[in-house]
Amino acid sequence: MKNEPLAWYIAGPLIGLIVPLLLLLKEKQFGISSTYRFLISGFTKKLGYFNYNREQDAWQFYFAIGLVLTGLFYNLNGYDLNALKTTVGGFGGGDVMHYVSTSGFYDLSNWAIFLFGGVLIGFGSRYSNGCTAGHCIMGMSQFSLTSFIATIGFFIGGLIATYFIIPYLF
Amino acid sequence: MKKLLNIASFILLGIYFATVLTEAQAISWYRIQEMFYFKSFHMYGLLGSAIATGALSLWIIKKFNIKSVNHNPIEVKDKPFQWKANLGGGIIFGLGWGLTGACSAPLFISLGINWKIGILLLIGALAGTYLYGILKDKLPH
Repeated sequence: MKNEPLAWYIAGPLIGLIVPLLLLLKEKQFGISSTYRFLISGFTKKLGYFNYNREQDAWQFYFAIGLVLTGLFYNLNGYDLNALKTTVGGFGGGDVMHYVSTSGFYDLSNWAIFLFGGVLIGFGSRYSNGCTAGHCIMGMSQFSLTSFIATIGFFIGGLIATYFIIPYLF
Repeated sequence: MKKLLNIASFILLGIYFATVLTEAQAISWYRIQEMFYFKSFHMYGLLGSAIATGALSLWIIKKFNIKSVNHNPIEVKDKPFQWKANLGGGIIFGLGWGLTGACSAPLFISLGINWKIGILLLIGALAGTYLYGILKDKLPH
């Protein structure tokens, strides 16, 4: 398995192309995290937030199926998330890696991080009305102030987690 | 048949997006950690050039009034401006992103790569979404 990522100057524009592709082919504005709301409203509509016209978000769910299928394809080809430990830019003396056990970060011993982190991802993306897809990529491409503020929030949260939480978890 | 084709087209676009994201390793906690430690330009280059490409595409679409494949004009709507929710929710989302190295797309991709980890993330995300549904009216927006 090769460890070098696809260069950013190739991958970045390919990521950005999802914006015009979705608009021109499907007349949709890029986003992913509405899938969570769509999924829950399929089970229960008791709460007002989930009692909505969920068909408008169905396409994001189909898009997410494509994401899962791709992951499955990589899985069947022996892809291992922990094999990416070798750094691209270097951590500067491995000041992060010593937090992580030899088995790597993607280990079930870290189950609580994934579960609780997932809660924050779900809650936060719905509260801020978008995630890295809808705000960072789509919204920032529109120069939307809303998305600019959300993106600043993403980085504040990420920096807090990185400097003040993760070092104390391992 | 038309409905199936519609669904398939979204799945294909998802496969396209996930392949690029995985090849660029943007789904990896290690890359996200490097980003937040400002130790690598990779993720900033990715995000920056993705936004630049998106913005340029929108400008071209607007400038030349390009229509969709169904000959409809392209409308791009702004999300409602709710700075308390955008910022507060953004910080909470960022905490989850920093902790797990996953945002929404990598969450679904990791469900395929390593379903045990992915299912923990997804259950968490659905619980968080449900919690938002409960608290929505009590939160500042």
